[in-house]
Amino acid sequence: MSSATAVSKPRKKRKGMTRKTREALAFYACVSPWIFGFVVFTAVPMFASLFLSFTDWDSFQTPNWVGIQNYVKAFTDDPLFWKVLGHTFYYAIVSVPLSLLIALYLSNLLARDFKGKRIYRTIIYLPSLVPLVSAGLIFKWLLKPEDGPIDAVLSIFGIHGPAWLLDANWVIPAIIMLSLWQVGGGTILLISAINGVPKELYEAAELDGAGHYRTFWNITFPMITPILFFNLVTGIIGAFQVFDQVYIMTAGGPDNASQMMVPYIYNSAFKDFHMGYASALAWILFVIIMVISGAVLKSSDAWVFYESEVKK
Amino acid sequence: MNSNNGTGAKARRYAILTVVSAILCAPLVFVVSIALSSDHTTNSMSFSFFPTEWHWENFVRVFNSGLPIGRFILNSLMIVIPACIFMTFSSALVSYGFARLNAPGKNILFVIVLSTMMIPGQVLMIPQFILFRTLGWVNTLLPIIVPNLFANAYNVFLMRQFITRIPTELDEAAEIDGLGYFGIFNRIILPMMIPVLAAVCVFTFSANWGSFFGPLLYINDEDKMPLALGLQVLSAQSSGAQTPPWNMIMVGSLILILPVLIVYYFAQKYLYESGMMAGSAGIK
Repeated sequence: MSSATAVSKPRKKRKGMTRKTREALAFYACVSPWIFGFVVFTAVPMFASLFLSFTDWDSFQTPNWVGIQNYVKAFTDDPLFWKVLGHTFYYAIVSVPLSLLIALYLSNLLARDFKGKRIYRTIIYLPSLVPLVSAGLIFKWLLKPEDGPIDAVLSIFGIHGPAWLLDANWVIPAIIMLSLWQVGGGTILLISAINGVPKELYEAAELDGAGHYRTFWNITFPMITPILFFNLVTGIIGAFQVFDQVYIMTAGGPDNASQMMVPYIYNSAFKDFHMGYASALAWILFVIIMVISGAVLKSSDAWVFYESEVKK
Repeated sequence: MNSNNGTGAKARRYAILTVVSAILCAPLVFVVSIALSSDHTTNSMSFSFFPTEWHWENFVRVFNSGLPIGRFILNSLMIVIPACIFMTFSSALVSYGFARLNAPGKNILFVIVLSTMMIPGQVLMIPQFILFRTLGWVNTLLPIIVPNLFANAYNVFLMRQFITRIPTELDEAAEIDGLGYFGIFNRIILPMMIPVLAAVCVFTFSANWGSFFGPLLYINDEDKMPLALGLQVLSAQSSGAQTPPWNMIMVGSLILILPVLIVYYFAQKYLYESGMMAGSAGIK
């Protein structure tokens, strides 16, 4: 996003003007696929959904304007809303930082050269390649109470495993387990980030006699903060939008103990046909994600290091 | 970092990685074992962790198991192939515009690109559903195919970061040689983008191959379902009176997993060695 020069324009604009126009035209031609997709599939639907959130539309009759009634209902008259919101926060607050820490740790072990790196990288990345439908089915099976493999392993250590997906206290940790199984996606991004750190920096650190931990904290960590930050933001956005896992593993059960925002929106819209209410819920979720991402974005000035800013 | 590690640290690295790999791998080993089990084992639920039976014919049987698995696969391909081609190239073109060309309104548009990454798909789900219902596209694959043809924000952002690392001197030289903007894109930028094109293609493939939510909304008929949805239907239908055919479900899961693995295998050198991810600094 380099801005145009602020210096006063030279006299000769005969050629400059046409060139500028030509460039602008080329720009708009280039970005037109995005603009088309954005307008048709994002901008217009967004306004439509904002409108619907102020109506009582049931997907069949003409929508009636009900003002902020849907929003009032969510906050004051729908006990399930707070429960579902709580579960969504619980999931995000535990799974995002945990995934990030594990990915950071593993990427440090896996970066640079060592024998067998390709095999280890592939194995650790493998689970994140498994489509969520398969992963959900696999975990549903692994977490079966009593004779499921995970409880069987626990019983070797004399632990009587919980009923996982049937136990209101263990169902969300079980879904978090699935997210940790797929920690490889974040890990490979961090591996390439670490490999992108100029080798001279490490050589210089070695000359200075910096130890392993100091090298990590003073060189690796600051240099990869942009990618950590990217993982953090996309992780938060993804966690608040969890759907497939919940739908396949528990359908929100037992007794809504694992119900989260998006499956709840889906149910309201396409099972109960409360399209207006579902639209309001979706907007509440959107605002929550915006506020949290915005806060993280703001915090980034304090801890994310951009090389380009130093060069300036 | 290697140079600071002694042999002790090295051994510890291998030990930790081996344990982690074993834990992460275990579910997949188990899946293979179930997929290769006989019906008898399936019905009595007496699976073993490592495969002890080798019923490879399960991979053929699944195609005649009353489920149109072949049809599911075909439907998945119909979603994935156009998505990979058009998403990759339209994103590349858009990102070239944002990286290299100047125009009034560009900065605002780029801010919009970035902010669309935060919109939950669910905010758009209901109006999009209405749109596609109006177009008469419900119970066809079009609502899943068409929105994936146009550049998406995540890919544009990733590719733009990549292009900004290509020296502008190359463009300038090409311009002096008489190439226009599209010529520069075609002959200079695109060939240099191959690693990131491959990466986006892999991401698009794996996202669409396993796509579940869209098909769940739009597809009713079994013979129009992609594999991911078909599998879910299979496992949900059969969980009534009789035991679900877990061996068939896991064969289906493996069929769903395998193409993603193959694509990843061929593209992995681009994912790690291009160092392209390091370029995606500056998400601001």
